[in-house]
Amino acid sequence: MLLPFHIALLEVKRYVGSGQELAFSVALPIVLFALMYGAFGGEESFHATAHVVDLDYGTHSRALINNLDTLDEITVRERTLDDANGALDRSAILTAVVIPAGFSAGLEAGEPVAITFRKRGNGGNTGQIIEAIVRSVVQQMASEARVRATVGSALSGAAIPPDRIDSVVGRLLGESRLRPSVTVETRWLGGDQSDPIDRLVPGLLVMFLMFAVTMNAQTLVEERQNGTLERLMTTRLGVNQLFLGKFMAGVLRAVVQAMTLLALAFAALRIGDAIDFVELAVFSALVAMAVSALGLVIGSVARTRDQAIWAAVFITMFMTVFGGTFFDLAGSGPLDFLSRFTLTRYAIDSMFAMLASGQTLAGQFTGIAVHVGVAAVALVIARTMFRVAGGGR
Amino acid sequence: MNGSDDFLTAQHLHKEFDGFTAVDNVSFSIRRQEIFGLLGPNGAGKTTTIRMLSTVLSPDDGEITIGGNSVTGESDKVRQVIGVCPQELALYPELSATDNLVFFGRMAGLSGRDAKSAAAENLERVGLLDRARDKIEKFSGGMKRRVNLAIALMSRPQLLFLDEPTVGIDPQSRNHIFETVEALRDSGLTVLYTTHYMEEADRLCDRLAIMDNGRIVAMGTPHDLKSEIGDPAEVTLETVFLELTGRSLRD
Repeated sequence: MLLPFHIALLEVKRYVGSGQELAFSVALPIVLFALMYGAFGGEESFHATAHVVDLDYGTHSRALINNLDTLDEITVRERTLDDANGALDRSAILTAVVIPAGFSAGLEAGEPVAITFRKRGNGGNTGQIIEAIVRSVVQQMASEARVRATVGSALSGAAIPPDRIDSVVGRLLGESRLRPSVTVETRWLGGDQSDPIDRLVPGLLVMFLMFAVTMNAQTLVEERQNGTLERLMTTRLGVNQLFLGKFMAGVLRAVVQAMTLLALAFAALRIGDAIDFVELAVFSALVAMAVSALGLVIGSVARTRDQAIWAAVFITMFMTVFGGTFFDLAGSGPLDFLSRFTLTRYAIDSMFAMLASGQTLAGQFTGIAVHVGVAAVALVIARTMFRVAGGGR
Repeated sequence: MNGSDDFLTAQHLHKEFDGFTAVDNVSFSIRRQEIFGLLGPNGAGKTTTIRMLSTVLSPDDGEITIGGNSVTGESDKVRQVIGVCPQELALYPELSATDNLVFFGRMAGLSGRDAKSAAAENLERVGLLDRARDKIEKFSGGMKRRVNLAIALMSRPQLLFLDEPTVGIDPQSRNHIFETVEALRDSGLTVLYTTHYMEEADRLCDRLAIMDNGRIVAMGTPHDLKSEIGDPAEVTLETVFLELTGRSLRD
């Protein structure tokens, strides 16, 4: 009963013992992920430090600094004027925001006020973005101060306490912030994806899982060419046990790759929560089952390592290219039709649905059925072909 | 031919591959604790015969029994009493010698502890205990041949198939293998041994059969076979071999 586990354990030992395979399957995902991280960044939104000099230290200057500090995009670091000038001179910072003395009093009186951006050169891209954000916050504060001043002035003759006026105006302005009259909606071109990462991560994950086709196709051929297959056939090991062991080893190898990639994606890109991770991991195991079984079909028929590799590469490339690995092919005519004959299409659709659309694993009936079905049918075919091709008793 | 001491009997074996007859009406028996040699030029059918005897190939015709069990009908029982040392080095080069032996020990049904113990015992038997943890890929050809033999012993077999176990190795390793095989025979093992080296067959084999073109052309003790040609003190087994199989080159 335990013989398949020993076959799988042997494969794992050989996998770990072979530096090339280990590097390919574990280090390559890390390198690719690093490239992806470089291209898309580790944060979904901009984040930088705003260097602020508060020469006013009044109610409104403190409110401005507080407002800036509560933004996700900005962390405020307060400096003295001399410190800020010194840092600018040394190019240690490229932009400093200076709130002048009298800023709060001027705003209170409804007079024009100004804050200053001190820049080194053009302030750098980060400085320009900070400037735009600060400008927006200041303008909103100025607008609200003007509204308060205007309403207070208009109702100055009425028998309403100023505190009451201020309270009502404050509440109305708060509601206005929560439900702005104008909203901005973003739509991405080329489909309904909300974020390219949501498609890229499943694409990369499935692409790596597809490598299991090649690795599993080689394992039987290697055994045959080494003579170890024939030697195994003289032991108590049955052919079904041999296939089960090889299948388990293939799934294990592919899952290790998938886990490496998923862990990196979830840790650095923050693409989902713990439940998403578990669901994607389980689905990855199903994909690994299907591709490992396909690899065994090739390994059962191929007589040389070259035959096995070329057949596996063809299948992998077909699925990667026509399965919509990195682009949604739905509604693209012939490509959409071709993609229906690939595992990649079903795998990525399901993973994308779980990652971007908030669907659960239980909702991926088609994806699960396709992969479990392919795994079962491919195992039966592989076993039959092994006997027909004279690979064993 | 079917004496009670026979551990293996092969009767009228026949095997064809795509119309080519590899083994043609081969019959012989091997007694317990005997080293039986199978000699023949390349393509004579020796390896095909061993593959049929060791349950890898099914004969098209004929019957084989090992230890009283039919190779075709009771192959599971047969596999429990045989050990096979194939002509090619059937090893996992990226694993250590111990890992190779323990794995095949597990495949033979040994527990983890027994497999480790048997691995150490067999590595010592072939003189490689001090290299037990080294990867096979670092071994010389002779050392690999000795590991190949040690693996065949992991199942604690009663019948050992040795298919050209000394091809391409240095005299020291070859001599070590001879001594190991003789010690195994003395400890009660039955051995089927194929080789190209006539002096090797002369030294080791109690009886031998000479095969050519898929058929057995002569069988007997080395002394008997030499006697058929001339004075056994002067005739070599190589002379007998060339006399029976001809001097034309083979592939």
